[in-house]
Amino acid sequence: MTDARSPGAAALPQTQTADPGGLPSVDMDPVEYTLRKRLPRKLPKRRNDVYVNMKTDFRAQLARCQKLLEGGGGGGAGGGHREICVHGLGLAINRAINIALQLQASSQGALQLAANTSTVELVDDLEPDDPDEATGEPLTRTRNNSAIHIKVYYPSP
Amino acid sequence: MSGAKQRMREKKLSKQPASVQYSSSPLNSGGPTDRGGWVRGHQKDGGGYEVELPKYITATSFAAARAAEVDAMLKAVTKATGSCHVFGAMPRHMRRRAMSHNTKRLPCRLREVANRMREKGLKAGGKKKEQPKNKSRKARRRHGNLLLEFNRRQRKNAWLETHIWHAKRFHMQKKWGYCLGDRPTTKCYRACYRAMSNHCLLQDLSYYSCIELQGEEDELLACLSQLTSKETGPTFAAALALSGRRQGSATVYRAGRYPSHPLGPVTFLWRPRTPGSSHRQLWIWAHPTLKQDLLPELQSVCQCSEPIIPVVAPVVAPAEPPPPPAAPHPGPSQAAETPGAKRKRSAGDNDDDGGPPEKKIVGDGTRPPSAPVSWTSKSTGILINDLSMEIVRYRLIGPRSHAVLTEALEAATDCEALSEAQATPLWWPEHCRDEAKMTLHRQQAQVFQTFKGIYSTGEVPSGTVLGLNVEDPRLALPQKRSKALSNITPDQGTSWPRRRELMLDGVPEHCCHSSLWDRFVRDNVTDNKLAEQEINRMRRAVLVPGSRLSPTPLQSRVPVLLVQQPGKQVGQEMSSWGAGWDLLLPKGWGMAFWVPLVYRGVRIGGLKMSLKHSQNKGAAHFPHDYPDCPAGVRFQEEQEEQLLNKFKRRPPAKRTNYIKHGCLAPFRCPWQQLAEEWELIAGEEAMAAAAAAAAGSGGERRGQSRGELAVQEVTSEGAGPVAVAQSGFSVLRNRKSLKLLSGWCRPTTSKGQRSLRARDQAPLDAASGAALLPAHVRALAWVRVSLLSKGSPELHAQVCVATGEDLRRLGNKGAGCGGPLEPPHKDRFKGKVKRGKKGNKKTAAAPASEAPDADRPPAPAGGPLDPAAAGATSSSGAAASSSSVGLVLGLWPEPLPSVTSHCSRVTLGWVTQGDFSLWAGCGEALGLVSLQGLVHTLLAQPAEQRGLVLLRNPSALHYRWAKVNVEV
Repeated sequence: MTDARSPGAAALPQTQTADPGGLPSVDMDPVEYTLRKRLPRKLPKRRNDVYVNMKTDFRAQLARCQKLLEGGGGGGAGGGHREICVHGLGLAINRAINIALQLQASSQGALQLAANTSTVELVDDLEPDDPDEATGEPLTRTRNNSAIHIKVYYPSP
Repeated sequence: MSGAKQRMREKKLSKQPASVQYSSSPLNSGGPTDRGGWVRGHQKDGGGYEVELPKYITATSFAAARAAEVDAMLKAVTKATGSCHVFGAMPRHMRRRAMSHNTKRLPCRLREVANRMREKGLKAGGKKKEQPKNKSRKARRRHGNLLLEFNRRQRKNAWLETHIWHAKRFHMQKKWGYCLGDRPTTKCYRACYRAMSNHCLLQDLSYYSCIELQGEEDELLACLSQLTSKETGPTFAAALALSGRRQGSATVYRAGRYPSHPLGPVTFLWRPRTPGSSHRQLWIWAHPTLKQDLLPELQSVCQCSEPIIPVVAPVVAPAEPPPPPAAPHPGPSQAAETPGAKRKRSAGDNDDDGGPPEKKIVGDGTRPPSAPVSWTSKSTGILINDLSMEIVRYRLIGPRSHAVLTEALEAATDCEALSEAQATPLWWPEHCRDEAKMTLHRQQAQVFQTFKGIYSTGEVPSGTVLGLNVEDPRLALPQKRSKALSNITPDQGTSWPRRRELMLDGVPEHCCHSSLWDRFVRDNVTDNKLAEQEINRMRRAVLVPGSRLSPTPLQSRVPVLLVQQPGKQVGQEMSSWGAGWDLLLPKGWGMAFWVPLVYRGVRIGGLKMSLKHSQNKGAAHFPHDYPDCPAGVRFQEEQEEQLLNKFKRRPPAKRTNYIKHGCLAPFRCPWQQLAEEWELIAGEEAMAAAAAAAAGSGGERRGQSRGELAVQEVTSEGAGPVAVAQSGFSVLRNRKSLKLLSGWCRPTTSKGQRSLRARDQAPLDAASGAALLPAHVRALAWVRVSLLSKGSPELHAQVCVATGEDLRRLGNKGAGCGGPLEPPHKDRFKGKVKRGKKGNKKTAAAPASEAPDADRPPAPAGGPLDPAAAGATSSSGAAASSSSVGLVLGLWPEPLPSVTSHCSRVTLGWVTQGDFSLWAGCGEALGLVSLQGLVHTLLAQPAEQRGLVLLRNPSALHYRWAKVNVEV
């Protein structure tokens, strides 16, 4: 792979997909292709879903989660949710766990966590640099990446 | 004297006595009698005054002549001239506003006269007003008359099919031979941005010209390969595009002139192969300003010079049944018949009678009506068709565009067995009879169904093409406008494998076929469209209001093509932002699809939004950012004129003095000069380095590198494919060089760049820089500049090189500190401008003071009399205006001084689009910089501060820190 780009978006609610070299070795000439990663497939987003990424400041993401959990908050995102879901993909798993633990610590034990892991299939496009007729088939590959979904919730009384 | 002035004078003098001369005098028979009345000033012909005085005069005749003169003079004095208003007789301070309207504002003694005058005037005026009075509104709005009026109004600038819809809601602009919506009248800048990033934005791109090429595949490829180069990316021959599965894009150059003479970017679509035939069909979509350059080039490349007036498209698919005989008009010139039909549809909702469309106006705004639209060639067998305005193209931008499409469109249903039996002139029953086509249709419909399970438009491979037959979307128009959302469930049910296949491989090749490629089907569908009235009648008959109209009329199946548009493809962030779908429709169906799409909650954008779209995508927008293309040059000239006019409309005291801001050319960018000057700078430095190397050992390394440079130059001259024309710059589009440059622009050690490992790239040093440069002489590089802190870049902001001192200061204070200040410049032209103005006034005043003298016939010197004086003033005015090109207060006159070294920081280039970027949250700009300058700057900068430049708006003195990115 010629170009280890880190896609992902700053403004879109999705996760960082920095892959730790999870690519299967495909026999291809390293010069001839450009790698383009597509965005990870997204799930429908509720108001209490938080997709953690590596671009946004950690504190900002933490504050956002706290705002969601705090009761009576106005604003666009609302507030006063009984539970939120923190999603992290790839490199952002660490951060998602961090956020969840911080939330729990700052609530003096009122919050509980329930973590789930999953595997997300990601799609890469390989575009040939030399658009020759014979070899110029762009390739598409899939690879898998780990993801975590942490439910942070107040236990029902 | 101007025409109006002359007329006014004639009117005034019409009531004056014709001649004051005592004509019976035998003496004065020569001179002024043949002139009718008094004429001021010196007359060239017949105006000669007798020089020798008469020897004697007769007292009686002399006295009689004088008496006649006095009489005439008295008559002239007593008779009012010009406007006969009563208040004209009043002193100025007693006049009041609206006196002629309300006579009570006059003093009593004048009121009676004024009343009489007013009545007379009313009578006369009333009659006059009666005369040109238009027909009643009702008559004007009658369908036929309205059409005539519409046709008259689009004689110069053609209308799109959605024109009336747009004209009600948009600021319209006349551009490129079309009337296009520029921006909505409502405030919706942010809403449109949000629509692009979260939902869907709709644009009418029908003004893009489509050029159709037909011929043998090899011939076509051989011809077209002259226009493109593999170095700039995929060409017409790219494998996936050639199979018809994907839309391709390419930058087109003049034939065989690759790096130097670019024409512009095009997108193209190959019709999928029909088995057993190598005959291919290709659509090239180009911007209308590009078309006028592209079409002749294509003609010369394909050797298609013979225009065909009656167009008969060759049947491409051999499997195609012969088109139903009654369906299309077989012969007549396409230019003569079809736009008429289109005009009729352009009336949109007002389209009420079912009779034959009125065929009045022809042409599409980019060509004269009688011009041929297709050309063929005997030698190559290629047929070129100009399909401008033949195909409607809508662009949907945003991650939910597929949801909008799946809600608005429905795959066509089979027609009933009953109607299948009888022969009809419609295409769909014929289509239904062919079982192979129907299975294909069912497969396409299935693929279309899987779109519903997709979350974002960017998940589909870029450029995917899907052919489809859909039902008339008017049949299922919802009653209320509502937002289309993709309702997907997280479960990966039965449709998952198909969805996965779609995501990975795109649409299978056979599903890319569409009947839209077929001219006969297109014409048939266009001609047999159900009128809006008919649809409304059906709606009335429906029992439950708002429910779907059924049964589907036979005419209501339309072939369409869906083409995925890739989103942001360059750079690392926000990948596939702004991806969407293009919807291609047969002509005439524009409004029928537009309104149902709008009812699915999309936003509508104009030209401005498409500019913002490409800016956020980091892509070059066609005429704006292609200064080396002919269309780009034209655009720049237009833009300069427009900006200059806008500038001049401001009161002089409120204009920005660009000279004082050190901005040489605020309204245009002298790219040529920039490239040349940087070439010079680099040359000088090379010489200096060589001298230093010769002088001492300190410069040895650099000298070596320069030596290498010289070697490189020699080799590149020997092996270089082309020598760039001596005059002219080019924009760097070679992908390899761009990639190299892109790697160099990033700082090697910085946060967030961990993943960057430029492994197989040459590291940035003098040698590799020198290796890159000679291949691209006078090249400009297309860069994205994002500001580090405050500030919002504007059009034509300067990109400047930071000095070492600046960089050090930045390193000490961090990015938070503002950049340096430009010391204010001195405007040494100010005095000249003022003097020029004074001079103007003097020359203007002179004839005014001499005018009274001119009334006297025996003016001895024959000084500057009226016509001559008028000429003088006008010429001085012209002189003033001509000098005002050079001497407008606050603008540099024409021969610009050195653009690079004019300010305290050396100029690298200019910004062509700049704005606060809503997605980055900071100011962002796209612009072009000199390649030589960029490499030079990067070489001089320390590694951790690489790619930092200064950006300064044309009307500001403050430099802002910015980061240069070259994105591939």
